[in-house]
Formats: sequence, C-alpha cells, structure tokens
Amino acid sequence: MFKNYIKITWRNLLKNKGFTAINIAGLAVGMASAALILFWVQNEVSYDQFHDKKDRLYQMYNRSVFDGKMWCWGTTPKVMRSSLKQDYPQVEQVSRTNNCNFLFTLGEKHLTLAGNYTDPDFLTMFSFPLVKGNLKTALNEMKSIVLTEKTAKKLFGDEDAMGKTIKIDSVDYFTVTAVMKDLPNNTQFDFEYLMPWTYLEKVDKQVEKNWGNNSVQTWALLKPGVTEAAINKQVKDITRSHSDIKDIDVFMHPATKWHLYSKFENGKIVGGRIETIRLFSIIAAFILLIACINFMNLSTARSEKRAKEVGIRKVVGASKGSLISQFLGESIMIAFFSGILALIIIQLSLSGFNNLTDKHLIIPYNSPAFWLISLSFILFTGVLSGSYPALYLSSFIPVKVLKGTFKAANAAISPRKILVVVQFTFAIVLIISTIIVREQLEYAQNRDTGYKKNNLVYTFMTGNVDKNYKLIRNELLTSGAAVAVSKTSAPMTEGWSDTWDYTWQGKQEGAKIDFNMYNTDGSFTKTMGLKVIEGRDIDAEKYPSDSLAVMLNEASVKIMGFKHPIGQIVKNGDNKLTVVGVVKDFILQSPYEPVRPMIIQGPKSWFNVIHYKLNDKNTTAQNLKLAEGVFKKFNSEYPFDYHFVDDEYAKKFKDEQRTGTLATLFAGLTIFISCLGLFGLATYMAQNRIKEIGVRKVLGASVFGVTSMLSKDFLTLVGIAFLFATPLAWFGMHSWLQGYTYRVPISIWVFITAAVVTIMISIITVSFQAIKAALANPVKSLRSE
Amino acid sequence: MIKITNLEKFYRTEEVETIALNKLSMEVNTGEFVAIMGPSGCGKSTLLNILGMLDDPDNGSYVFNGVEIAHFNERKRADLRKHNIGFVFQSFNLIDELTVFENVELPLIYTGVSSADRVKRVEEVLDKMQIMHRRNHYPQQLSGGQQQRVAIARAVVNKPKLILADEPTGNLDSSNGNDVMELLTDLNEQGTTIIMVTHSEHDARYSHRIIRLLDGQTVMENIMV
Repeated sequence: MFKNYIKITWRNLLKNKGFTAINIAGLAVGMASAALILFWVQNEVSYDQFHDKKDRLYQMYNRSVFDGKMWCWGTTPKVMRSSLKQDYPQVEQVSRTNNCNFLFTLGEKHLTLAGNYTDPDFLTMFSFPLVKGNLKTALNEMKSIVLTEKTAKKLFGDEDAMGKTIKIDSVDYFTVTAVMKDLPNNTQFDFEYLMPWTYLEKVDKQVEKNWGNNSVQTWALLKPGVTEAAINKQVKDITRSHSDIKDIDVFMHPATKWHLYSKFENGKIVGGRIETIRLFSIIAAFILLIACINFMNLSTARSEKRAKEVGIRKVVGASKGSLISQFLGESIMIAFFSGILALIIIQLSLSGFNNLTDKHLIIPYNSPAFWLISLSFILFTGVLSGSYPALYLSSFIPVKVLKGTFKAANAAISPRKILVVVQFTFAIVLIISTIIVREQLEYAQNRDTGYKKNNLVYTFMTGNVDKNYKLIRNELLTSGAAVAVSKTSAPMTEGWSDTWDYTWQGKQEGAKIDFNMYNTDGSFTKTMGLKVIEGRDIDAEKYPSDSLAVMLNEASVKIMGFKHPIGQIVKNGDNKLTVVGVVKDFILQSPYEPVRPMIIQGPKSWFNVIHYKLNDKNTTAQNLKLAEGVFKKFNSEYPFDYHFVDDEYAKKFKDEQRTGTLATLFAGLTIFISCLGLFGLATYMAQNRIKEIGVRKVLGASVFGVTSMLSKDFLTLVGIAFLFATPLAWFGMHSWLQGYTYRVPISIWVFITAAVVTIMISIITVSFQAIKAALANPVKSLRSE
Repeated sequence: MIKITNLEKFYRTEEVETIALNKLSMEVNTGEFVAIMGPSGCGKSTLLNILGMLDDPDNGSYVFNGVEIAHFNERKRADLRKHNIGFVFQSFNLIDELTVFENVELPLIYTGVSSADRVKRVEEVLDKMQIMHRRNHYPQQLSGGQQQRVAIARAVVNKPKLILADEPTGNLDSSNGNDVMELLTDLNEQGTTIIMVTHSEHDARYSHRIIRLLDGQTVMENIMV
C-alpha cells in the first residue's frame, strides 16, 4: 500500500509541476526561516547553561532605591568576596572578574588584547576546559596568565605557548601557565586571557576595602543543597553589616537566569532577553504556519481534481483512515523535499544571518540530535500542513464525486478564505511593525546630541600618555592635527561612573540622587562643541582654583534646584567643588532616554581618554597621520589607536538597527510566502473559471472587467486582513515603544503606507493570472469544455 | 442474497424535499442477473448506490446475505463492500495517475492481499479480459472499450459475489458495448450476481429479470426467457 502511495504522490507531483514548485518553494522558505530563527533561539537559551555547576552558580547583585525608584545592578564592591568566603559556610567558592586591556609585547610583536582579572577559583567554578595546564593552580602566581587557544595562536603561532614569557604593558613579564579552549559562542563571558586578581591589586597599589565602590562582578558557587531563597535571606545584609551604607540589599542571581532574565523593575525580575526570544519564536511559528497554509490552500483548492481518485478508492475499499494516511504521506513527502531545499537555503544564508544577528551559528552536521530534530521538524511540518487537506479530501462522498456533480463550495466564509486572511494579517502586522521600528530608529538618530560629533576623535591613555600629556596636547595643537584637546575620564559616548555622594545646599535630607560623573582638564566645551548656557568652561591654567571647579548640565541644575548655579558649592566627600559653568544637556548614554543629571569635575580627578577635535582645514588622513606621529613620539611602545566619536555613537543604534533589519527581512519573507500562495490560488481560480470567463467575453465583457472581477475576491480578503492587522500591530508596537522614553508617535500614515504596499503587491500577484485568463481566446476555452 | 423492504431515501435542499426511493421493496437471489430501468430521476442510481453500500437509506430494511445492514456505519459498510461487491461505472472511473495493472491491483491492496498474490491475480484477470498487453499503459492511452475492460477487471479481481454496473455501456459504441455485455454475461454464468442499471433495452435483454422504476417505486417486473 505504501509503495502505491509513493507512486501516486510522485506522479502527481510531476504532473502538476507548477503547483509542486510553489508548494515546495513556499514550504522550504518557511522552514528555512523558521529553522534559522530556532537556531538563534537555541543559541540564546543555551547561554552559560553548559557549566557543570550551573545550578549552583550565582552572580551577586545589589538592590537599592534612587530618586524614589528601586534599581538592581550586578557590580559589587571588590571586598565582597572575602566576606562571602569567611562568613558564609553555604558558599563553596567565590571569584571576581574585572575587565583589563593590555599591550602584549613578544619580540617585535605588539598586540592590545582584552582580558579579565579573576581569582583562581574562577577556573574550577565555571566549565571553561583547559587544553594545557592545571585548573587548580593556573592562576595562583601573580605573574601567571591563561590564554585562550586563539590568543595563544595570535601570539605564538603554532608553537607551544606553555611556559613562555610575555611582556605586559612594557612593565611586567608573565608566564603562560595554561591554554584554555576558545570560549563557546553561547557565553556572556568575553575575554582573550585571564590574569590573576593579585596583579590588579598590585597595579591598583591599594587594597580595596570600600563597600561603596561597586566596580567588579562577583560570582558565587553554593554548596550542594543550599537554596536560592535560603542564601538570599543570609546575604541580604552583607553590605549593611560591613559598612555604614544602610540602604543596599544584596541578593544572588542564578546562572539559569543570567542571560534570559536580567531585566529588573522595582527589585523584581520582569524579563529581559526572554521577551525577544518569545517574540522571535512566535514569528518563527507564524512564518512556518503561513507556509503550511499555502500548502493547505493549494491542496484543497485543487481538490476537485483529486475528488475522483478519492471516490474510486473508497468504492474499491479504501477506508477514510487509509485515505488520511495517504494524503498525510503526500504532505510529508513534500515536506521532506522542502526540508532538503530548506537545508540548502540555510547553508547558503547562514553567514549573512550570522552577520545580521552578530552570532557564530553553525549547522551541526555531525550531531545525530540535529538530524533527529530535523526529521521531526519535517514530520511536524508535513503533518501540520497536510492534516486539514487530508481530512477534507478523505471526507468526500464517492456517490457525489463519481457522478461528476461535485463542485467545491464557494461559500462566503470558507476555511480557505480564513486561512488567506490569517496569512495576510500576519504579513501586514509585520509590515506595520517594520515601518514603526525604522521610524523609531530614525527618530532617535535624528535627536540632537547636544555636541558636535563630527571630526571628534578619542584615544585611550596607555603607557606614557599620562606622563607626557601636556607635551602631546601641545604638539597635537601646534602640528595642526587638532584645534582643541581635552583630557576626560571616559569617552564622550559612554558613562563610566556615577555616584550619589554629592551634597549641596538645599539638598533634601536623606535624598539619594544619582549623578553621572565626568572629568575634564579643560577645553571641554570647545573640543566637544558644547553650548555654555551660563558661566564658563573649566580652565585651570587661567584660573588656578579651577582644579576644584565643576560644571553642571541643565538636568543637574534642575534637580539640584539652583536658581543661580554659578558660585554654588557642591561637596563630594571632603572635596568642596565650585560651580563655574552650566552646559546644555548632551547625550552621554542612551539616545532613547532623557539626559541624566551630570557633574563635570575639573583637573583634580582621574583621566582615561584624550579627546581631540581634528582640524577641518586638513583632510582626515593628514590629521590622523600627524596625530599618529605625536603619539608615537611620546608613547613609542604602543600602537596608535583612535576612535571616531560619530562611529561610536552610531553603535548605540546597533540593537535597534538589527531589530529593524530582521523585521524587514521577516516581513519580506512573510509577504513573499503569502504571495506565493496567493499566486497559486489565483492560477487555480483562473483555470477553474475559464469557461465562465469565456462566456463573459463572448457576451461582451472587457479584459479590465474580467481582470477586476477575478482580482476582487482576493483583494477583499487582503482588506479584511488589514482590518484585523491594524489593531494588533498598533497594540504590539505601542507596547514596544513604551520601552523608550524618546519615542516616535504612531501616525496614521504608517497604516496607510502598509495598506498601499500590501494591496499593490497583492494586485501584482493576482492580476498577472487574472489578466492572462482575461486575455485568453474564449473560443478555445469554450470548445475544450 | 439481497432483500430490501420499504426502503426510503429523501434528498433535501433548503426549499424542496425530493423523494428518491418511495417504500421500495425487492429481492435479488444469488446468481441472478437483474437489470434496473426507468426514466432519468426515477431513483435507479440511488437504489444502486444503496445496494452498493455507498449511500445509506433514510428508512426501511436492507438485508445482505442474511445480515441487516441498513444501520451500518461507514466503516462497517466499507468493510463489507470491499469483500463482496465490485463496481462498474458508465464513465469507467479509473485513476489517471495509475497504470492498468495498478488500477486493477487497487482493491487487492485494500483487502490486504500479499504482493505476490496480487501480481498473480491481476495478471490472471487481465488475461481473461484480454488487456494483458496494455498492463503498463495509463488510462488516457486506452480506448473507451479498453478502459471499461480495465474497470471490469478491477471490479472482479477481488472475486466479489455481487457486481453493480451503472450504465456500463453508456460511453461506448455498440460493438464495444456488446463486448462488455458478453463479459458481464460470462461472469454471471460463472456464478456472480449482477445488478445493472441501464437505459438500453438492448442491454437489458442480457439479464434474467428487468425491474422498472418510476418515482422511486417498482412499477413492473419482466422475467426474461
């Protein structure tokens, strides 16, 4: 019986090549899209779930109230580790991590590499296997270093790195004590090497005891059997009990939630990455469903052709069940061919998809699980797309179909019409969403940053830059490379530090207000192109007392309640700082959020970055060449490294840009698959009504009349879909936009544009067949009946 | 073999109710060759469909081989049908995508006959119908007469006790029509009961008995000599 089914399926596929092609292509595109999304989802949900001890691993978090709002954050005081180790017997191991960036020198080779400082326990807590070396001892010595395989290869080529010595930052020599397997693509950790924490303590020259400085990440491994609830009760007061900070609660965030559930609101987890994953999973399911709907619609539309076969089979003894399995077998076979095609599509598009999603996904051809899942996926698709047609076709009554009186009903509401409406509803929702995502992106990109990004460059202060800063600044200016130079604490596009330690006259007792902290040695407003609203820029050379001067932004003036800010005293610990100027608000962090209050401190603070405004009389290349000469002259061991502020600023839109591109891609695919189905239905309909068209033409109908008659039905369905899609899309995008304080209003034009686009595409799809049918010679069609 | 009593069948649409069979009673004995005649719409095809268990009556009794089957569900009817009844249609009703051999083989597949047995029995019956040389052709490649031979081959391959023929010569010229009637007569002589619906007095003369229907009722029975 099985052989008979395969035979007849195969012959049917060959006989109706057009429909076969539409069915297989549509299903393949749908399956490939869904599978790509599922690959991505799989990668996301597997983040840091490969650690053997993941069920006992936690990250230390703080919880406190600022400006009346509860916040949670994952950086902790450095000193928390020793307290956890000493006072909490439930905790088995603790390690900290902190970023570092060093120049590695090996003979003539100079490389700047990013790594982590960490405690020796890190290697035994997490499952990052070593290729060489000992997990337990690799980070015991202060000048030992663990390299990833990739880093080892970068530095030593094919030579064995173990035991070799590397010069770090032209100061110290480190010995390679272990080589680690490269980090997998599903971990939040990102380092090229690990260095012992003891070295950080040496560089820092001070043992950190300050419970108020939250600057590192602390990881804890609990003993078996200790529950999250139990330990959270214990660690809650750890900061309070060690310091005079009374308003911080500490809690542990479990490894199983690090990646997916990291968004906190009012001290509670409210989601995070999981929201995107859910959204994408829904999109994947819908794209697959839409492709399956094509199959259902084309199969049932062509049912009249299959009706006779069903009748005959029933007459000669086929049961309904055997017919259902025959038709399901057919759809599974088509799904199988589509699956093969989908795999080819995935293979071809994977690198593009990886670029788009910033991932390194691969197809695990060697994994039996992959093939098993793929087969199940094919089976699922086949059953999903084939079950409705199978039930529909197998229920034909032989008496009717064999008499030739059978005509598929053209009811006002048929399942086929409902399915087309479902397809287009989803497609239109995606189109509307795409337009709104792109509008929001543009809206934020066009927001005034408050400073001039153009030709503004920064370089991190490495090696001797700090020591030679004045010389460098002067030569940058005199060489003509730059027109203004300012030393700052952080790049203009990043907020590196904030504090609620400031007090001023009139500050409410007990108020906890957090300020962004930013430092400059002077020329700040000139270099950045900022607008001074009141007072002046900090200039310690002209006003020696300016070493303790500060500038405020507008948001600070407002929140501090100063009517006349100039001359006010702001205290930070023991430092009394005088306000000398007020600058217009500028965007330091998120372009989607309001500008936060900010205090810009003068020269008596710390610095990490040099910003310089390039001279617009020269070409950029000339300026950079001159600047490189200056940095090389005073910091010869380090490569010249520079960042354009406008490039860095553009990176703030990466996530939204990606969302926009993915939304466009999925909307395009959905429309493509839906139109493929519509095209098939239109083709079938044109064939089916060929006699009617002939009669109408003989009676005097015009080509236009016939075309619009045939197109009208489909366009009505698209219209109905639009009515469903509009509120859905509005609701969805309205809630998406709530995540942004600066958001574009949803205008009626978005919906009009989406309607016009969808209707145009549908008209093109349907009218091709309709016009073809309308142009056909009626003599032929009538005679052939 | 067949005994129907007071059989009724109605067709309802929104506005009208048509009576297709009106308290019809009749008997057919094993080995008989019965022709059913009557004008269009008299209910002969409805009767044939009910006899062939493709349709169920609204009222009345239908006893087949001593078993009351009027209330059987589709599954039971299908099961009884595939083991006992063969069908021959006016429009042949062959599956276009299957070859002659595969079309004839189909009933054997559904009754679970083994593959080797199937080949043997299909070849046997094709030989008997003299279309062995066409076994690998598709229906569209055959003449009408040949197609009807294939259809008859398919009807008899399962060795049914009863063959129901719905105007079997309706789409054939007279020479091919006669051939088909000869074939049916042969089958009847070998013991198969045949009930045939026909418009043709010529064809009806091959039968033992003619039942004439009008408006869903028997109006006359002629015994042929």
